[in-house]
Amino acid sequence: MFKIKKIANLLTNFILVVGLFAPYFAHAYTGVTIVMASASDTNLEFIDTFKLELINNKSTNFRVKVIDLSEVEKLVVAENSELVIALGVKALEASSKLKLTTPVLGVFTPLPTFNSLLANSRRELGNFSAIVLDQPYSRRFSLIKTVLPEAKNLGVLLGPNSLLDVEDIRDTGELAQFNILQESIRQQSDLIPHLTTLLEISDALMAVPDSLVYTRETVQPILLTSYRHQKPVFGFSQSYVRAGALAAVYSTSKQLAKQAAEISIKSQQALSILPPPQAPKYFSVALNYQVARSLNIQIADENTINKKMLALESQP
Amino acid sequence: MLTSRQLQVLSVGLLFVSLAARADVALAEVVLADADLQAGQAYTITDHLSEDDYLGDLPKVLTVSRLSQSIADAPSAVTVIDRATIRATGAVDIPELFRLVPGMYVGTNAGYVYNTNHAVSYHGMNTAYPGNMQVLINGRSVYTPLFGGVKWSELPIALMDIERIEITRGPNAASYGANAFAATVNILTSTPSETPANTALATHGNGRNEAFYRHAGKTGDLAYRVTTGYRQDDGLDERNDFKRTRFANAQADYQINLNNNFEFEFGLTEGARGEGNAGEDNIVFLPRTKQMNNYYGLARWKHQLSETSDFQLQAYHSYDRSDDETTSVNLRPLIALISPILAAGLVSDSIYINNEVITERTDIEAQHIFGLGANIRAVWGASVRQDTTYAPHYLDNKKTDRFDLQRLFGHVEWRPHAVLTVNTGAMLEHNDFTGTDISPRVSLNFKPHPNHALRLGISSALRTPNYVEEKFNQKYAIATTLAAPFPRLVLQQVLADKGNVNPEQIISKELGYVGKLGDVQLDGRIFSDEITDVIRFNERTDFTVPAGVLLVNPTDVDTGLNSGSAKVEGLELQTNWKIGTKTNLLLNHSHIRIRETHTGLEKNFTKSMPVNTLTAMLTHDFKNGWDASLAYYQTSESTQLGDGDNVDLIRRCDIRAARKFNTGRWNGEVSAVVENLFNTHYEEFADYNTLKRRARVNLRLDF
Repeated sequence: MFKIKKIANLLTNFILVVGLFAPYFAHAYTGVTIVMASASDTNLEFIDTFKLELINNKSTNFRVKVIDLSEVEKLVVAENSELVIALGVKALEASSKLKLTTPVLGVFTPLPTFNSLLANSRRELGNFSAIVLDQPYSRRFSLIKTVLPEAKNLGVLLGPNSLLDVEDIRDTGELAQFNILQESIRQQSDLIPHLTTLLEISDALMAVPDSLVYTRETVQPILLTSYRHQKPVFGFSQSYVRAGALAAVYSTSKQLAKQAAEISIKSQQALSILPPPQAPKYFSVALNYQVARSLNIQIADENTINKKMLALESQP
Repeated sequence: MLTSRQLQVLSVGLLFVSLAARADVALAEVVLADADLQAGQAYTITDHLSEDDYLGDLPKVLTVSRLSQSIADAPSAVTVIDRATIRATGAVDIPELFRLVPGMYVGTNAGYVYNTNHAVSYHGMNTAYPGNMQVLINGRSVYTPLFGGVKWSELPIALMDIERIEITRGPNAASYGANAFAATVNILTSTPSETPANTALATHGNGRNEAFYRHAGKTGDLAYRVTTGYRQDDGLDERNDFKRTRFANAQADYQINLNNNFEFEFGLTEGARGEGNAGEDNIVFLPRTKQMNNYYGLARWKHQLSETSDFQLQAYHSYDRSDDETTSVNLRPLIALISPILAAGLVSDSIYINNEVITERTDIEAQHIFGLGANIRAVWGASVRQDTTYAPHYLDNKKTDRFDLQRLFGHVEWRPHAVLTVNTGAMLEHNDFTGTDISPRVSLNFKPHPNHALRLGISSALRTPNYVEEKFNQKYAIATTLAAPFPRLVLQQVLADKGNVNPEQIISKELGYVGKLGDVQLDGRIFSDEITDVIRFNERTDFTVPAGVLLVNPTDVDTGLNSGSAKVEGLELQTNWKIGTKTNLLLNHSHIRIRETHTGLEKNFTKSMPVNTLTAMLTHDFKNGWDASLAYYQTSESTQLGDGDNVDLIRRCDIRAARKFNTGRWNGEVSAVVENLFNTHYEEFADYNTLKRRARVNLRLDF
């Protein structure tokens, strides 16, 4: 939550100033258009839950329309009448080109990608926001603390994307009383030697999303090498846990849809300015019991861990 | 079969291909670096993460079959020698690593036949041809059907490709199958995807030179690795035991989709070996050079049936040949000592022996591993194997002999309670030599605390007699031109196996502890193993000499037979102490005694295991990439069997220093090793093996 909080503080001031000009685009929208690149299970589940959440909330009466990526260009949005929710990076990129008066909320988007899209478009934070896929580092550290209370030295293997986060990881890690050990790579051939160096001195490895380090191609060498060193990996997705990471905190489609519905409702009622990009509010914990047993790590069930983490998060 | 010339061409070719590939990569890096400078921090959208990085499916890497039991839950005592330990020992031969295993004895260059081979055994009973361990490389059984042991120096494998070696101490037929009698050595290589693109390694030292080159790559979903190498070892002083070996191997991993992958392996070795020593047998097997070659191929299909269920089908074929031709000295003067008339009547002065040996193995195995609920994990499977042996001299038969073996196995790990794990399993085996047998096992692991586990186990295994014990018919014969009453044939019969040897049986009981006390990892056990129907060679009293044949050694015709029982008892201790982050101390000890419980054992059988063995290895990381290790090996007096002798207490000290470097482009290490630092001229395995100080320097480059 740390990073998001920082951004949030900065942005609150910013928005207050921008807010003076708010009447220029402060009109309530009457409908939500969801843009998706494909009818994947993840997207469909999001849409179903989103609609359901709106139905459950009696105070609103939105029209919800779902369109395909190819239809975005043709989408003519009446001045300030729609909120566009873009599912995935491609949908968000296409939606970022819509009229500036149309607020766009990205879902299923990594934070660095959101930042880059924001920088490359003429949009501003008031009309362009997201619920990012990245879990706050504080939450990730609290998972590690809960699952592996003895762990002190935490290894992070960084690449070009994730290196930008290094200070945040370090600061948040120290707050959580971890000693963060870091290695960074610029090319994939450095992966195994640097990973090996890191594993030799770390109690566990925390995977940080990066397009060079954590890809479909590197999942095998990373997990195998870590396993051979008998060191658990904390992933950032449910898939990583299925593949062989020990644990991860992630948010389901349903959880993200619930949060998106809340934002839609709140933003419509208040000024039609979107809140700043935010981390997932609701989360789940994925554990790999087979890996835990093989590494001789005793872990509680997912529910217990989830509750412990919620308790930790609610602490000031 | 590739010739040595072809092998050389292959390895040089590979080097060029990889250097060319490397040049491309280097160029691409330069371009990238420039682009980075110009673009500054602005990454294009293609550099960025997409939702797929978080939500996309990934292939399951740590499948149920890949996850091994935690040592605290395992049914047996296990010693793991990982890559870091291998590096720290400075060893260049695989068997040298087994000096780290409590209860193991390693003898350099044993025996008279295959005398360039290390003799490795667990819990004594060591001969020049020890055959009571299962040895697997990536699931492929590599012991020779001929004598049940491993020709270590002929394996087409480089030490640098080994990721770890797991040694299961004690019988474990239920999990590892035939020959998992005294112990099981499981050698696992690193997967191609973990291997650096190019590695070159060269070693030069006293009587030892070697060079290896390895290339690894990935195209799409196919990851591969190719290693070639050359080893030359002059062996010991006063022994004709030089070794020259060339080998190549390849390993490929093809991920077809999320649930299926194929693995392929190929390997071949070719080389020359010194054989025969002046003074041992100065009549027939004189000092000579023997040629050997072997190859193998393996394919494995892994299919993930569900989250908790894997199916695996594996098939391999291996071929091994050694070519040994020899002509005896002029026999007439020797025969003349018996009878001058006989000597004059011999058809020739000498005898010619073609001791070519070809063994082949084909093995197909299917296994299914699955979880039943959260607390049961099971594996079961079946395999069929065919070993063929062509050994005209040993078997006195020019036909290829065939040995079939079928196996059905199952193992269940059940956790009835959080602190209790029950392991139970059995193997049902049918083979041509001994028929159908079953080897069951059961163990209880009690883990009252994550850092402390107690293990109580009983396990049995059978050792099927090998060809030497069951079918050898080794003789030297020379015809005469004489008529009766003179013999028409002069015969020296070395072995005339009667066959029908029963399998040797072991029942092992143990109480073990695995735990952690502060920074010290502890693994100890006390055990009592009962071995019955021990197979030994003894005089064959019922050997009938055909009419007209003169047997020159009537009291020296041997056969394999079951005789006597023994009890092997003792304790083994492994400790690993991490002293801070830079220093590590490994300390292993065994104390073992063998007693005869039923008479008939071979002489010195009970002295065949050193009562005490001690291994200590201290490693330390210094600053600036320097690290060093100091190892101490001590084995008390023992009498080695089968071509071995009484050998005294051995104390040996090895030292290694290494400096790692990384210039960005070149990554590597320079190291130096001195074995037997104090140059104690000790004897190992037999009095004809004298070991002296040996030093080596080594350079390794990853690029």
